Amino acid sequence: MSVFTPEQEKTLVGWTTRYPYSNMGLVEALRSVQEWKRCVTPEAASRVADIFQLPFNRVWSVATFFPTFTTKPTGRHRVGLCHGLSCWMAGSDKMEKCLEETFGTKPFETTSDGKFSWEPMECLGACEQGPALLVNERLQGQATNDKIAALKELK
Amino acid sequence: MTKIVTKHFDEPKLHELETYRRLGGYQGLAKALTMDRAAVVAEVEKSNLRGLGGAGFPTAAKWKTLPGEDKIPGPRYVVVNADESEPGCFKDRVLMARAPHQLIEGLLIAAHAIGAKETFLFVRGEYQNQYDILEQALAEADAAGYTKHASIKLMRGAGAYISGLDTALLETMEGKKAWPRQPPPFPTVAGLMGKPTVVNNVETLSMLPFIVREGGEAFAKIGSAKNGGTVVFSISGHVEKPGVYEVPMGTALRDVLALAGGVRGGKKLKCVIPGGTSMPPLLEKDLDLKLDFDAIRAAGTFLGAGGMIVLDETVDTVAVAHNIQRFLTHESCGQCTPCREGSYWNEEILERMLDEKGTAEDLANLTRVGENITGKVICALGDTVGVVTRAYMSKFPDDFKKRVPSNG
Amino acid sequence: MAKLVKFKLNGCEVEAEEGRLVIDAAKDEGVEIPHYCYHPALGNPGNCRMCIVEVAGAPKPLVACRTGVREGMDVKSDSELAKRAQSSALELHLVNHPLDCPVCDQSGECGLQDYYMKIGQYQSSVREDKQHKDKRIVAGPHVMLDQERCILCTRCTRFVDDVTKTHELGIFHRGHSERIELTPGKVLDNAYSGNVVDICPVGALTDRDFRYKVRVWYLDQTDSVCPGCARGCSISVHTNTKRPWHNDGKRVARLKPRYNPDVNGYWMCDEGRYGFGSLDKDRLGRVLRLKPAKQDVSWETAAAEIAAALGEGDVAFVASGMLSNADWAAAKVLFAGAKFYFTPEPDQVGGEDAILRKREKVPNLKAAENLGLKSGSFDELAHDLESGRVRALYVVERDLGKIWGEDRARGLMDKAKFSVFQGPNKFTVSEWADYRLPATAYVEESGEFTNFEGKISAYQKALDPIGEARPDHEIFHLVAAALKGVPA
Repeated sequence: MSVFTPEQEKTLVGWTTRYPYSNMGLVEALRSVQEWKRCVTPEAASRVADIFQLPFNRVWSVATFFPTFTTKPTGRHRVGLCHGLSCWMAGSDKMEKCLEETFGTKPFETTSDGKFSWEPMECLGACEQGPALLVNERLQGQATNDKIAALKELK
Repeated sequence: MTKIVTKHFDEPKLHELETYRRLGGYQGLAKALTMDRAAVVAEVEKSNLRGLGGAGFPTAAKWKTLPGEDKIPGPRYVVVNADESEPGCFKDRVLMARAPHQLIEGLLIAAHAIGAKETFLFVRGEYQNQYDILEQALAEADAAGYTKHASIKLMRGAGAYISGLDTALLETMEGKKAWPRQPPPFPTVAGLMGKPTVVNNVETLSMLPFIVREGGEAFAKIGSAKNGGTVVFSISGHVEKPGVYEVPMGTALRDVLALAGGVRGGKKLKCVIPGGTSMPPLLEKDLDLKLDFDAIRAAGTFLGAGGMIVLDETVDTVAVAHNIQRFLTHESCGQCTPCREGSYWNEEILERMLDEKGTAEDLANLTRVGENITGKVICALGDTVGVVTRAYMSKFPDDFKKRVPSNG
Repeated sequence: MAKLVKFKLNGCEVEAEEGRLVIDAAKDEGVEIPHYCYHPALGNPGNCRMCIVEVAGAPKPLVACRTGVREGMDVKSDSELAKRAQSSALELHLVNHPLDCPVCDQSGECGLQDYYMKIGQYQSSVREDKQHKDKRIVAGPHVMLDQERCILCTRCTRFVDDVTKTHELGIFHRGHSERIELTPGKVLDNAYSGNVVDICPVGALTDRDFRYKVRVWYLDQTDSVCPGCARGCSISVHTNTKRPWHNDGKRVARLKPRYNPDVNGYWMCDEGRYGFGSLDKDRLGRVLRLKPAKQDVSWETAAAEIAAALGEGDVAFVASGMLSNADWAAAKVLFAGAKFYFTPEPDQVGGEDAILRKREKVPNLKAAENLGLKSGSFDELAHDLESGRVRALYVVERDLGKIWGEDRARGLMDKAKFSVFQGPNKFTVSEWADYRLPATAYVEESGEFTNFEGKISAYQKALDPIGEARPDHEIFHLVAAALKGVPA
């Protein structure tokens, strides 16, 4: 069985033609894989390597280098908490405890229903509204216990 | 105070083409397209525009290092570095969200100036909202025919700070891990896919419409000597009103802090990080410093990308240094040994000190190892690994001594 | 040739080609600048930061592996600044290194040890726990990987990416979590895998064949030439004779490629590298007359009796490209009227590639060609034997059983009235000859091979011959002398 659906294969091939050189679409292609599978496995990366006609070790080195890509599935809702200096000064360490208690998981762990995972992240570029959260790639400022509790209501 | 890139931030729909055009948008591009390429470069040269992504290199000078088509034929590219990830910096995020057309116009002017037919806008992956806004703005610009002479393609990063360094950015764009290159050759000679490439920051390019429209001299007049125009500070930390503040180059630190409402809660100032956490801090005694690239440098630190973090008297600078060191360790790309191992070592020492297990030898080691890293590594991140902790140690020796048991 | 420029190296005025890397130009002058990542055949990524030198006028110290020589340049690799930078780069390399030297095979030829003695000798300041990684990864049939010892110089990954283009290894993850790993699903089993052990400056990649056999400082090294194919790679034979109780009693411990820009560069293939296993297997050491009954005879007796038989004509001479230049020349004289059979087909041919490996799995067919010798095919020889046209068959180091199958080989050999087998190792066919003569192996003699391109390489005697064994050409001279009736 193929790693990807025909539709997904088409998207990946699309990334090879989007930029003047096919390899320029690699990081975007891996972003797509992460989005679909919530992780980039060796099998998936190997198929991407074939599509991009690149050595697999090159693709795997990229997949393991960038924090956006994970080798184990993140939750369907991936929550990042900024612990950069400004957010730390704004109390991100307290929010870290709140996330741990709310989801009942350690950083980078996924809840048993596969719904949530949370992780500390480096500066998210929202220093004026710390502690900042990144919820499914969208920035949210001024994290509070209530805001974090509300994340549990995500479908 | 004179504003350039945030001038129309009161307009709620500034991100839409119609509003942007009503306020004079794309007139700079129209004018540039009637000008000779060299004339555009000359105008930028007159403006004293400096690279606002952190390095402060004169923009026109960078463009001029691009070899002519007679020397290196074939495509040349402009890449927008919108991979803003220096802790403390968020002005590019705001500029892209509020004034995407200003960036697009600036980018198209730069493309014309260097003769690029293709350009790329590399946005950090965490800025998905801004990416969407740019995508929308780009569709409008395409439809309006602005991108006829040069195409713009968007691209996203994947969460690595080091991708914000120009040569690491190019590696990322080429589908490799973001290991910085070691110039020469510089990107303007061999950049993206080995082609001559100009990498400019969002804010730098956003300045171009004004420069072309109003003339380089008008821009230069706004700033200080050799530092033309304005600079946008991202201000966060212990201030009353965190946010972005655009001021003319050379504005006193005291006045910039006043814009943000000063230190929060009437507390005393401990220090100010002027340009992002990689930059050594300034102290109360530096409040009258005129903030431009050269003056800050003379004061022993850097303007960087204007990520200003204000720390009040309650802050323990050992913990601050640890936070920054932890960031650098996490973001070290691992290519060169001193940075990879030194960042880890420094972080571990600081962590031990925070756990009350520091020794006098640790202080000596932090200094010695720091000295051994800076200037001997591949890129600026590595240099920072060796600089930051030492800077806090030298400015706040008491904070550090407190963490080490005395012999008595 | 590029322009020669004058520059100063550690205060001495020297000359080099403009643009030559400082690290190379210094080496030319006998000054070794410490380095791990730089390898002349694999490029200069400049990631280890060991080769830092001070260049007058430069804003900061530079890495010698990425700095070209310019006219009037003033380079110091031994200034206080340079020495501190080199020593501190070493210190940083060792922050997470396990320092398990006592059980490390690289011990004695390790870049970390060597430079510690040369430029280190500091008191360790690291109080932190070392990071733990995998220490026992079977990377492939020949190579073990220890991630903890790895200093991430990237030489091995550049080798599999740029030389073999097989991509079995990679540097994965990032920063202090970074490590060399097998590419998922791959095994380091390319035809040149052993080279990564040679280029690894530390004990991260070790040789499974050599591992734990003998300490490197007990080994002797002798310049030699790999007899594994027509390339004739320059090699070094590492022998263990001082402590025979080590290395399972084997005399040859390992083969290493020896740099030769004209033939093999820095590499050798795994076939050649690990092909020495049978060297000491079933060695022949006695001069024997086998028929009518097995009997030891002197070289002189054997030579006289063989000469007498050869003198009657209808001789077929079977050999292979294992013969040295001197052997071929002697054979040409001795077997002047004979028919020669030395074609590598069918038993001495194999895989080849664009890197080093050649189809002919013997080193010296070119010498025969240069002497104007022509080989008949083994089908022709079989036919001639069958039809009784071969009266005397003289076989040197060639296993006819492999060519014809043992039963057929025996039958064909019996057709000849007289036969001689000469060689270092016993084959089944060697026992069916009338005379069995012990010859030296290539490591027990000095000589020359002419490779497929006509390049002549010399190999030196690394070990003493077994028993009465003599080099092939000496035996040919003996017989030739007997044939002429003069003492050799």
